[in-house]
Amino acid sequence: MTESTETFKDVPCTFCGCLCDDIDVQVEEGRIVKITNGCAISKERFLGHMENRCPWPSVKGEKVSLQEAIERVVEIIASSKRLLIYGLSSTENDAQREAYKLAELAHAVVDNTTSVCHGPTILGAQESGKAGASLAEVRHRSDLVLYWGANPAAAHPRHIPRYVRQPGEYIQDPKEERKIWLVDIRATTTSRMVDRFIRIEPGTDLDVLLTLRALIRGHTLDASEVGCVSISELEEMATAMKSAKYGVLFFGLGLTQTRGRHRNVDAAIRLIQDLNAYTKWTMMPMRGHYNVSGAHKTSTWVTGYPYAVDFARGYPRFQPGEYTAVDMLARGEADALLNIASDPVAHFPRAAVAHLMRIPVINIDPKINMTSTAAEVNIPAAIAGIECDGAATRMDGLPLYLKKIVEPPEGVIPDRDILRMIHDSLQKVMKK
Amino acid sequence: MSGGSVRVLLTSGRTLGQGRAMEKGKMTDDYQKAVAVCELDTASMESLGIKNGDPITIQTEHGQTVVWAKHNKNLEPGVAFVPAGPYFNLLLGSYTQSTGMPGFKSLSASITSTPDASILSLVDLSASYKEVRE
Repeated sequence: MTESTETFKDVPCTFCGCLCDDIDVQVEEGRIVKITNGCAISKERFLGHMENRCPWPSVKGEKVSLQEAIERVVEIIASSKRLLIYGLSSTENDAQREAYKLAELAHAVVDNTTSVCHGPTILGAQESGKAGASLAEVRHRSDLVLYWGANPAAAHPRHIPRYVRQPGEYIQDPKEERKIWLVDIRATTTSRMVDRFIRIEPGTDLDVLLTLRALIRGHTLDASEVGCVSISELEEMATAMKSAKYGVLFFGLGLTQTRGRHRNVDAAIRLIQDLNAYTKWTMMPMRGHYNVSGAHKTSTWVTGYPYAVDFARGYPRFQPGEYTAVDMLARGEADALLNIASDPVAHFPRAAVAHLMRIPVINIDPKINMTSTAAEVNIPAAIAGIECDGAATRMDGLPLYLKKIVEPPEGVIPDRDILRMIHDSLQKVMKK
Repeated sequence: MSGGSVRVLLTSGRTLGQGRAMEKGKMTDDYQKAVAVCELDTASMESLGIKNGDPITIQTEHGQTVVWAKHNKNLEPGVAFVPAGPYFNLLLGSYTQSTGMPGFKSLSASITSTPDASILSLVDLSASYKEVRE
């Protein structure tokens, strides 16, 4: 039996934006039987990759061949006037490239899940720039790490143990020489792991950020507290932030999804810019899906814009609020949806999902999800990083090569190949 | 004291259980158990006269949803938490302030104890959207 056992070393985990690339995966008889180094979610992703799978291509619930499913997809796209292509954050870069190519051909709108996670981060960065860093730099240099509106213990379980509570070139004892703070509206598992938890009143992120900016600039404020935090504590925080040798702000959806959206991020960026007048500070969004960072980057490389890209006129245009998926669906504008590697029925507001139920939906995903139940056409895909190779981008922008560990189920091919087939078939139909 | 309703600021986000169940499968019982819950502080639980696992109805200006109550002793009074997922999204408006992003955080909501209400299965939840279609 030993000849059928193989261990793959340093495999990137394709769950969250940490893309931890130190996972060892043991395969026996073509099945993943054990992983080491991964978090609890990573273990579920690798060991449970065959559970709940979409078994075959189907049209209106009837099993069909892949070719027949593609033919129906092409019919839907060819007859649509306002196709929305959405998702793309849980697949690899080449699949994303094929989606943009298809969007251009079909004169469609292509949006990725960035629009409902760190879209405001990008809008904030477009206004004010952003001082970035790599996760390695954080580990080697940072002596003050500030999480804001993030709960890495739940969403990025190895973020703290792998990148923050590790010794680095200039930090020998991370427990003593590096302080971790958390600003959040509620106590979480993360708040019990950090050195200091600052609880703020919900919806006051912008107020607290602007107060910190004022204090760092040396202004005196006529207030005793802001966001339920006393001015004296905020003053002490401001002093400690100015005194750090190298600080990092990791911010989550607590900042981008709350009142203020991109204005919160804009204020955070300007806070970091202010701090850089005194010392070194950088910042990084806590990207959720493993390749949502890649989705916005490949979209920017290929179309010039990070998300919400409209090809209706044959060339790309960018307008959040207009060409973003939630808005297009809630307005009843999209007349067909091609969804790749995401689950809008499970994650969009009620009005957007209600419209989605009225239009033909094509769903490409390895597993059955809530969108599968609403889709006219379902096409199963191979899981990138387990059943096919590819490239993905870590939350700090580092591209990593994803390995193929096991064969996909028979007849199941990668997203990129499915999208290429749709593109080529549509091209033939359009030439007729 | 029991009965009546409590007003809360409702927020959503990720949990470890939700992440694990999501990777297992979005239509599994594990996923439903992970996302069809609402974490409440001690005062809210006592005020409603409920215990862990009791069905409660959450109402916002955009909709309502029935989920299981879950006590979280670390929550601040007046704050409630529902994991990101389809049950929370029934409560969500679609206004994005021209950013593409709905307001997932800090919704004003009222919570009522509804011991006789049942929690929709994921399949039924999906089907309820289809009824809207007709």
